[in-house]
Amino acid sequence: MSVPLARRQLLFRKGRALAGVAGIAAALLLVLALNAIFAGINDRLTAYIDGSGADVIVAQRGVDTMHMTQSALPEQTATAVAAIPGVAGAEPILYVPAMIERGERRGIVYLIGDDSGGAPLPVATGQRPRLGEILLERTLAGRLAAPVGSRVRAFGQSFRVSGQVEGLASILNSVAFVRRQELARVLGSTGVVSYVLVRAQPQIQPKELAARIEASVPGVTASTRETFARSERRVVGDMTTDIVRAMIIVGFVIGVAVAGLVAYSATLSQLRDYAVLRTLGLRARRAVAVAVAQVGATVAAGFLLALVLAWALAALLPSLSPTLVLAIRAGDVAQAIVVAGAVTLVAAALPVLRIARVDPASVFRR
Amino acid sequence: MTARRRVPVARRQLVAEPAKLVVTLVAVAASVSLVLLLTGLRRGMGEQVTLYLGKQPPVLVAQEGARNFLSQTSILPEALADDIERVPGVVEATPISQQYAMLRLHGRPVLALLIGYDAGKPGGPWKLASGRAPSARGELVLDRVLASEHGLDVSSTLEYRGAALRIVGLSSGTSGFMTPLAFALRTTVNDLSRQPRTASFFLVRPEPGTGAEPLAARIGQTVPGVSALTRDEFAANDRRQFIDPFSGPLFAMVSIAYAVAILVIGLAVYSSTAERSREYATLKALGLGRRALFRLVGVQAAAIALGGTVLGIVLAATAARGVSAIAPKYLIAISLGSAAAIAASALAMALVAAFVPARMLARLDPASAFRR
Repeated sequence: MSVPLARRQLLFRKGRALAGVAGIAAALLLVLALNAIFAGINDRLTAYIDGSGADVIVAQRGVDTMHMTQSALPEQTATAVAAIPGVAGAEPILYVPAMIERGERRGIVYLIGDDSGGAPLPVATGQRPRLGEILLERTLAGRLAAPVGSRVRAFGQSFRVSGQVEGLASILNSVAFVRRQELARVLGSTGVVSYVLVRAQPQIQPKELAARIEASVPGVTASTRETFARSERRVVGDMTTDIVRAMIIVGFVIGVAVAGLVAYSATLSQLRDYAVLRTLGLRARRAVAVAVAQVGATVAAGFLLALVLAWALAALLPSLSPTLVLAIRAGDVAQAIVVAGAVTLVAAALPVLRIARVDPASVFRR
Repeated sequence: MTARRRVPVARRQLVAEPAKLVVTLVAVAASVSLVLLLTGLRRGMGEQVTLYLGKQPPVLVAQEGARNFLSQTSILPEALADDIERVPGVVEATPISQQYAMLRLHGRPVLALLIGYDAGKPGGPWKLASGRAPSARGELVLDRVLASEHGLDVSSTLEYRGAALRIVGLSSGTSGFMTPLAFALRTTVNDLSRQPRTASFFLVRPEPGTGAEPLAARIGQTVPGVSALTRDEFAANDRRQFIDPFSGPLFAMVSIAYAVAILVIGLAVYSSTAERSREYATLKALGLGRRALFRLVGVQAAAIALGGTVLGIVLAATAARGVSAIAPKYLIAISLGSAAAIAASALAMALVAAFVPARMLARLDPASAFRR
């Protein structure tokens, strides 16, 4: 009973066992990496909101997102909101997608026109923009080769790069800041703002303040920062759910095929061993357990390798491509564990069926 | 020698364990179909993002600095149409107001591309599945697939940016992942954006015989403050904008899939070679040359690679058809070119996969056939 049968059989051909582990790791890495990429996009998607200092975001009625979203409010909304008890500050912003150009280099950004030049987000290099200036996200500045002091164009206007912020760009988009009055002039939309960012006084809860704003100002939706960020994450989450599901299915199929192949090959080469063990009194159930343990160990090792590779990718990729951020979340790891468990069960079926049919007497035949 | 050649050793070894062969083929096919589906999805996205542009006149005019039709702001006074129409070679300049619309359906954000156009002018829905085109403020034509996904029909009402929009028609051929189309009158869209008497683009119809590129250049030189590009330029920029960000992750996924396919083929051939080392040693002892032995391994690897690839192509084509039936908003456009490329790469996969077993055979001692 103390003979480590499963381990010995598994490691009898080390190359095969390693190849199996690598294959399963690759299949599970597909699931983990894709989830991590989308989670990384989600984190960056709300980076501006998270760092804006706003407790409540006021938008056109029915609007509670910024990404790929339009919102238009009368400029007076900010004044009306500022007058509500419990509001410490109300900053109107314009928020529009725009193309930033420097020579032949181009990049799409969400261009934010505010009165504070991106405050309270910290400026990494240079200073906040004044009239005629623009604050770029570091990754885009690098891609455009636009250092502080250089000039870029947006909406046909030339802007001097005043500085850089960082940590706001994802593979989908970047962010830049200009003065609101200048952006309004360029767009020809004076008297209109996109959102009002509201700071709450310490004695009031953001949720209560949001409700108070909605009750006092007509035609607006007021969301707490947390609610707004959750809604933003849901935009990408909902768009990518089907793709993630498809990848899980593909990862599952590949995982099952690889694990099944390894386990089945191992079982075939050890059929005589099983027959010998059966004649020596090993019960069918125990033989099956040995086979399942082998598959389980291979899949578990593959899962651990996939996890290590995903961590390594998450650590390495940002230095290669700063916008490609991978975020590995506990929920996604749990999902991969479930996939791995399912792979084990299905992949073990073939060898189990084969072993269950082994005739102990076959060992005496040639 | 002749008799030996007639024994189909490779085929017999391959089919000796049919279940194992099937599992191997399925694994290779899954990897191959993953590659095809991912590249097909990328191509399909490219086709979908230019769905609207593909139906429009050959030249578009936007605010200065605009290079894309999607994901970029462009606001121009609608009166600019007169200036554009005065440019020689222009028959008509039709204003449209376009924007992404983050609709809230079933409590969830759902993205659509909302086009505001003038009744009776170009820019509206080109095919109605039911209902009629919008004729008054607050009326909407919605993509049929998007509507059916959310239980909406003609005469349903949906809330958007504080306004109640009534669906008066459903359009077909306007579905797309991230870009299903919705149409309303331009006045409706401008009201929502609080930008009266503006347009985001002008669709320019040229005189017969006038080239799109020279006309766009002429408009750019004549009308100040605009960016005039051909429809194809806008389409190419949109495709790049949408697809390029996914190229890195896609490349990584495709690489993993290829690695898995090579690994599986290698694993299958290696384990079968290892299990039959005594047989191979016997063949070697009987005088079968190294080259013939390598060929045996190579043929097995190539057969698995090609069989798996063919099965993978069939699987991917079936999956693409299934997706278009079950979830028509996704377009997986598998091209003959990509299928041919992966079939060609199957040979490379087989060569790489056969490397380890071939090395093992090269080192195999013929005398081992006689040992117990």
